[in-house]
Amino acid sequence: MRPFVPVAAAALAERLRSEILPELTGFRAGNVAMTAAMFDMIGEEWDRAAARLFEENAAIRALLLRGGVRPPQDQDDDLRISALDANNDALRQALITLHAALEQRDDAGARALEDAIWDELRRSVERRTISSANF
Amino acid sequence: MKPLTEEALITYLAQRMPDWRDIRIEGLHRLPLGASRETFRFDLSYSDANGRHEDRLILRRDPPASNVDSDRRHEYESYRAIHGHGVPVPRMILLEEDPEHFGGAISLAEDLRGYHNSEYQLQEAAWRDRLPRIAQQFWTSMGTLAAVPVDALDLSFMKPATPEGTAMQELDFWEATLDKNDVGAEPITRAAIRWMRRNPPPPAQKLAMVHGDFRAGNFLYDDEGHLIAVLDWEMAHQGDPLEDLAWSLARVFSFGKDERRSGIALREEAIAIWQAASGLEVDPAALHWWELLNCIKGQGIWNSCAHVWSEGTNRDVIHAYAAWWLRNAQDRAILELMGKL
Repeated sequence: MRPFVPVAAAALAERLRSEILPELTGFRAGNVAMTAAMFDMIGEEWDRAAARLFEENAAIRALLLRGGVRPPQDQDDDLRISALDANNDALRQALITLHAALEQRDDAGARALEDAIWDELRRSVERRTISSANF
Repeated sequence: MKPLTEEALITYLAQRMPDWRDIRIEGLHRLPLGASRETFRFDLSYSDANGRHEDRLILRRDPPASNVDSDRRHEYESYRAIHGHGVPVPRMILLEEDPEHFGGAISLAEDLRGYHNSEYQLQEAAWRDRLPRIAQQFWTSMGTLAAVPVDALDLSFMKPATPEGTAMQELDFWEATLDKNDVGAEPITRAAIRWMRRNPPPPAQKLAMVHGDFRAGNFLYDDEGHLIAVLDWEMAHQGDPLEDLAWSLARVFSFGKDERRSGIALREEAIAIWQAASGLEVDPAALHWWELLNCIKGQGIWNSCAHVWSEGTNRDVIHAYAAWWLRNAQDRAILELMGKL
């Protein structure tokens, strides 16, 4: 799409803030301010969503295989975000099960894999970071 | 949701208050306060045997679906319970639980008008010099609440709690909230819950009335930075007073995007003020557990926002916004507290 979606979303957010918001007060002003912020988040997520989901799904599959668990799917064949997101949800659910099982074990292999899971969870949070978030 | 009109309010008040005559309502409008309840402001005037009266009122209405599992009576009774016990709150005036009148239960309270409640305004440079006073009064009010003996309050409408059981009771409740409002697998939140069950905190030093949402944005303050009233008691319950302190220290409520908690003061400063006011000592390990509990609670609320919006039962913008803005930040806060960031 042209104009590029992140650029258009940012411009729309700015126009809401500069042209509409000053005309409003109270509840309506709050709604428009939040809508503008959501346009910013849409722009931020649009460009990266497929890449982060594809990367994360591959990383979780590797962790599951390392833990002896067959992933729900072998790869991402459909690159639409809705399909990647559905696969991601199934993979993260399987990761929860593996993580909980590892916590019940008391051996070096389990600890090493658990550390690798935490590393991936930290990366997953960084991938999803919203620039306007408080933290 | 049924529109709230001045005519509907006049009709209702005329039935509810048969001694009132010539009831007038002006300036009814919705305020941008909170996600869980609708808040309106209006001016009321009426005559009775004592003459003409004029009141400024706040009306809160329960929506058909909310991100917080509470109801009008609970918040109304919470305000009434703590009123007069050292924590400033507005006076409650009327409760109507029958949703037939306005599409949801309502309560009326005095409107403490002319003050601020914005957590974002406190981040402006012009307010920087007043933050120490606000910090002192904010965490002192919280400590005062912690110090009030629960036996002195009528909390019979609340779920019972014990010092030994409150931690797991709260964890059970918020885990069930997550289950009920499932919006996708959450490996970080679920790992935190498992850790919390393996590492329970010590019993509460005392049972207290816990506000449940004691943070910047939920109190009124004046131009000089004096705290005027604490608002939004819909999540009040009996529990460990550390829960309120932990909620106020949450990273997701650090509105200055820096080390100041609630966007007001450093963590150590907040804890010191709270300890002085409550007379309680903070056990760092217990506080850490309650900070994690509040991450689970936060995620439960943000997921409920996403759930009610996705289901179409409440499409207020704030629900979608809060879910987008807060869910990942909440996960990041969990990682920090668990030493995994």
